[in-house]
Amino acid sequence: MPGWQAFFHPLKDKNFEIISIAQDTGGARDAAEWINAAKPEYTALVDDKHLVTQLYNMVNVPTAVWINEKGEIVRPNEVAYVDNRYKAMHGIDAGPYLEAIRDWVTNGDRSQFVMTEQERKERLTPPSPERAMADSEFALAEYLYKNGMGADAIAHFKEAQRLDPANWNYKRQAWALSNAEKDYGTSFMKEVQKLNGKPYYAPRKLPEGKRP
Amino acid sequence: MLKMFACAAITCLFSVAMTYAADQAHRVVVYDGVASTVAASADASADLWITMADLKKATGFVVKPQGVCREQLCFPLPKAKKAEFVLKKGSTNWFNLSAFARLVKQPVARDEKNGVWYFGKREDERSTYLASLKAPNFTLPDLAGKTHSLADYRGKKVLLITWASW
Repeated sequence: MPGWQAFFHPLKDKNFEIISIAQDTGGARDAAEWINAAKPEYTALVDDKHLVTQLYNMVNVPTAVWINEKGEIVRPNEVAYVDNRYKAMHGIDAGPYLEAIRDWVTNGDRSQFVMTEQERKERLTPPSPERAMADSEFALAEYLYKNGMGADAIAHFKEAQRLDPANWNYKRQAWALSNAEKDYGTSFMKEVQKLNGKPYYAPRKLPEGKRP
Repeated sequence: MLKMFACAAITCLFSVAMTYAADQAHRVVVYDGVASTVAASADASADLWITMADLKKATGFVVKPQGVCREQLCFPLPKAKKAEFVLKKGSTNWFNLSAFARLVKQPVARDEKNGVWYFGKREDERSTYLASLKAPNFTLPDLAGKTHSLADYRGKKVLLITWASW
């Protein structure tokens, strides 16, 4: 998050806002330390029910969406690192993406990085029935966890993971609330290793040869 | 004959459910993200029947002649299958919230042990933004507890970024 604050500062008076949203069942208990350390000038919110994950059909963090002045999505969900700390793991270079955002802040809907309506419609797909059911199972599990029934939540977290196996948010959050090895028989690193070279994030496509 | 048998079976099931409810008096219904305790009327393995009063309390919906309605929203009940949704037992009118969820394609998760039922977003709610490309609105708190809605930022470019501590 300090990286996003450094990125945002020179852009903050350019009719531009970052809204960062922690997807944490533990809410401020888990997210506050990170937010306070960043001292953000942008808007930092806490989503202890993973509402944004559901609303935007997200499966991973960090995920970003570009929204224009009219409230329209102009670039749907995509991986959004602010630096290259984890590049060795996922191979994604943050630099071109940050440059693309700067271009958008300056040029708005005229930016070459704003997707056409057709591109956006192709990328924005309705959640599958399985995903919708996974959302309900996950939300039920969160409710049980928060109301002192954590042991009973595990079966529902597992069901959400079974229904939407590509959803890393639903896996990693559940594992973080538990002893993942004991309760789920796995861990984040083990699951990443199982990918065996397949990309951890959906590939991001910036216009080729048009970089600012 | 078949119809009579079906009716008898439903009545019998309902009686069983009512007996069960005497042992487990309540359920928790989470609807639109809000939890409400309701009087139980059904076996945990069957559909969730709740009273009309609880229907209004837990969901905001009421049963009207034109359908199951909340403000401007109204879902007509299939006339031929009305008995699947509404049942009068003694002086109490019961409503089958599970059948209604199936009608409006609402995903339902339940935990039998704790009697908790979670009702997710209806099919029509899940993809309304796709046609318009408008970013779905949300309202969430900052660390100070002050709430912010995406709609408050209309007129600015917004980079929405999700992250997590885990």
